[in-house]
Amino acid sequence: MLLDGAQRRWLIGTALAAVIATAAYVPYATGRLNGPSGGSWPGLTFGVVGFALMLYAGALGARRKVPTWRVGRATTWMKGHLWLGLFSYLLILYHAGFAWGGSLTLALMVLFTIVIASGIYGVILQQFMPRLMMDRLPLETVYEQIDAIVGQLRGEADALVGSVAGPLPVAELTPPDHRRGGGGLAPGEALTRGPRPRSAAVLPPPSEATPLRDAYVREIRTYLSLDVPRNRRLGRRRERDALFAHLRTMLPTPFHEALDELNAICEERRQLALQKRMHHWLHGWLLVHAPLSMALLLLAAVHAIISIRY
Amino acid sequence: MSPPDLLELTIDGQPLKVPPGTTIFEAARRSGIAVPVLCHAQHQTPVAVCRVCTVEVKNARVLAAACIRPVENGMEVWTDSERVRKVRRTLYEVLLADHPTPCARQQATGDCELETQAAQAGLRHSRFAARSHARGADASSPIINVDHTACILCDRCIRACSEVKQNFVIGRTGKGTETSIAFDTDVPMGESSCVGCGECMVSCPTGALTNKRALDVVLHDGAEISPDELLALPMFAGASGTFLALNRGSVIRRRFRAGEVICREGEQGSTAFYVLSGRVQVSIASPLAHVKDSRGSQGAGVTRFFRRLSQLVSSDEDPRDEGGHRFIPIDASVNLPHGNPVAELGQGELFGEMTCLSLYPRSATVRALEDTEVLEMLRNVLYMLRKNRTFKAELDRRYRDRALATHLRSVPMLAGVSEDFIDHLRERVTLVAFEPGQVIFRQDEAADNFYLVRIGFVKVTQSFPGGEIVLKYLARGDYLGEIGLLHDSVRMATCTALDHVELVRIGAEDFGEMMRRFPAIRSVMEAEASSRLAEVRERHERAASLPISNFLAQGLMEAQNLLLLDLERCTRCDLCVRACADAHDGVTRLVRDGLRFDHYLVATSCRSCRDPLCMIGCPVGSIRRRDSLEILIEDWCIGCGLCAKNCPYGNINLHSFTVSVPDEMQPGRKKAVVREKATTCDLSRDLKEPACVYACPHGAAMRVEPLSFFAEKLGLSR
Repeated sequence: MLLDGAQRRWLIGTALAAVIATAAYVPYATGRLNGPSGGSWPGLTFGVVGFALMLYAGALGARRKVPTWRVGRATTWMKGHLWLGLFSYLLILYHAGFAWGGSLTLALMVLFTIVIASGIYGVILQQFMPRLMMDRLPLETVYEQIDAIVGQLRGEADALVGSVAGPLPVAELTPPDHRRGGGGLAPGEALTRGPRPRSAAVLPPPSEATPLRDAYVREIRTYLSLDVPRNRRLGRRRERDALFAHLRTMLPTPFHEALDELNAICEERRQLALQKRMHHWLHGWLLVHAPLSMALLLLAAVHAIISIRY
Repeated sequence: MSPPDLLELTIDGQPLKVPPGTTIFEAARRSGIAVPVLCHAQHQTPVAVCRVCTVEVKNARVLAAACIRPVENGMEVWTDSERVRKVRRTLYEVLLADHPTPCARQQATGDCELETQAAQAGLRHSRFAARSHARGADASSPIINVDHTACILCDRCIRACSEVKQNFVIGRTGKGTETSIAFDTDVPMGESSCVGCGECMVSCPTGALTNKRALDVVLHDGAEISPDELLALPMFAGASGTFLALNRGSVIRRRFRAGEVICREGEQGSTAFYVLSGRVQVSIASPLAHVKDSRGSQGAGVTRFFRRLSQLVSSDEDPRDEGGHRFIPIDASVNLPHGNPVAELGQGELFGEMTCLSLYPRSATVRALEDTEVLEMLRNVLYMLRKNRTFKAELDRRYRDRALATHLRSVPMLAGVSEDFIDHLRERVTLVAFEPGQVIFRQDEAADNFYLVRIGFVKVTQSFPGGEIVLKYLARGDYLGEIGLLHDSVRMATCTALDHVELVRIGAEDFGEMMRRFPAIRSVMEAEASSRLAEVRERHERAASLPISNFLAQGLMEAQNLLLLDLERCTRCDLCVRACADAHDGVTRLVRDGLRFDHYLVATSCRSCRDPLCMIGCPVGSIRRRDSLEILIEDWCIGCGLCAKNCPYGNINLHSFTVSVPDEMQPGRKKAVVREKATTCDLSRDLKEPACVYACPHGAAMRVEPLSFFAEKLGLSR
């Protein structure tokens, strides 16, 4: 969620609530003989309210499962999750009196701290990663379609190189797939790009395209597969451009258009690989944040039951 | 000495006796001497324009035209002297100079009279240069090709049309080398009052007027019916037998047993049917249903299973119609009532016109109720019939008797018109036809009539400084022309026939009477007219101040409502897509991909275009737009897919879903069947806010009116 002017009211409200809570905590903590205690009325109040806010924050996961239910706009829920979640950390600290207690409470505080830290980390990522993706990935597509698009790029490249350099010595050619997608696609159905327009120049015989064919079979085609090691030189623009510039010197001019097209395909492949990595960065933190949040809520409930009962 | 009533002459040395008034051509023909002619036809008045029939008469100062020169007593005529041959050859050369050799007729049948005669005279080419520009061709008629370049101005077609058929459509236009034949006031043949009898075509000696076969198709599924048998049918009275002979296979007789299906809704077709005997049932078999908007989650696992199970046995299909459309317009002389979309047609009824003329999908399923005999015909025959006065009068009469009342009442604001007023209108309305591209009326013309659309599609456009805007498309059941009449002003827009259109024309006087007698209707019409005018004014203001930029390049000018994703906020979580799918039976109507404008992604989702191309051609008029922006696809969509093909942005898709229908094999029980319906974003009209926007947790998704939203970027002053 972008922290912009739309968050101002929540920020102010949360800050105000924090001030009030602190104003309530300080006299309570300093005035008590043995210091603040979670079992005291003020401590319990902090704990109950903090836990309630934790439950609300955790309910965001459930809210995402029912996106069309009219239970409040998703942005409101997200803002509440952010700000009230943060506030709940303060309340729990006040509840605990800044003491870690036994093993359960220690584990709880460690969990809580990780959850809050991962959440803050995620929010920080969301401040710049979307814009970075927008700038660096002009050919960005739907994440789930990346593998299918890569397959199509390979098919397109096979057809392109085959048309200028003759039959390729590969075990299995990928047929180009020019189905058009868009609008209401069922899961798994690919969005496609159409064939790129090419000029109708008369090409020299395929034998003169041997350097292209060799480079394609040896290196470029492997780069256009699904799993590509990151350190491939084709994934680095400068080195890729150098490779293609070298190929241009070895091939007659009529082949240069095909070379440019192949370079564009490789660039698209690079962007898709980058998109995958950036997508993982943008969402990877959830693999920590979400399950630990569930564990936190569970343990907090256990702690509440044990504390009240015993 | 012969009796005083016969004249004596010799032709090529042969003595002859002929009655007074006989022309040299006739006299020669009786004695077996063939004099070549191009402009002369024996059943037409001779005009002697081509002079090919020129003959030499002894002691005459000049050569004579045999077709028009009467015989005189003692005349000596030579039809093939050296002088005649030389002159005739020169005439052929002059005519061949501009003539495309070989012309269409020569290519098709090898019997172009000019080229044949020239070849017989030993002439294949002309030494004279052709004119610098061709006189052009006219392919506007669906049954006759016109090639002005091949025309030798023999006048045969003019006399055929006027003298033989009394239609008076063809004449001459221009002077000198610019002379050509013309139809009515020199309009394209397809737009003229030509009735398509084909008489001009069979009279033409060259390839100037040739038969145009429909789709190069010959129908095979039924019994061939000869031109004589066709001419014996009242509907073909006045048709040209030669035309029918040239178009053998374009109309066939077919017999159907009771229960047999004649055609199915949604199928592609190119023919129309005329019921000779029997009765047929017309119905829409696709159940009335639509993909529901859902307020809640679809659930998962067991919950989803039980929900689906309940749908199988539920008879409540949640009809979308709110009473605004009580009839479903189809391609026949009847409308189908929404509650029970079934009707009957009997002897003398025609159905499938729009499919035949404009190749739209079949709008309904037609099944024989008893043993039925029909004529199935291609477009050229239907076109000829529709121009035939007798047939047209009969069709019009049936329309007035059967469909006019329901048609009038199917227009929502005319639903309250009384029965006696409809009877009053019945004989006063006129059915008028327009060809594709023909203008019905123009902006700023005086308003004189009110129209209802009987078949076809009408484009409504308005001009403004800077271009033209398409305001809307009108289909069967819609109306036009009311604004000018209500305000006693000029036409506010130009209406053009998009395909073969037939309108019900109600004169200004009757329209005024209707407004006076039914003030409630007048109020509604005036409110509607005011709203339309306000919308058009606003559109003009925006269009006039908009700088042309890549905004136009992406077609965003056409959009009234865009789904934008702010790429600086969007975390690509796809909750918008999931919410859309959740709200629409599991299939999303948006794709989070598309072009970019500034830092926004223009998602692939309905744009509520100003020019809704998706609406063109719907055979049952199920895709429409309400007063608000969203495109709506009604319950009775038959899943033909035409709207999906027409949408240039891929925003409409066919969605398969399960409905329960009566099981024919087990009466009283229902079975689940899969049907296809078109779906598109409807802005989640059953929910307060689009589901995608509501579900986005980052505030990245938004529905905007593009011109307002991008006003600052486009430099508009707001």
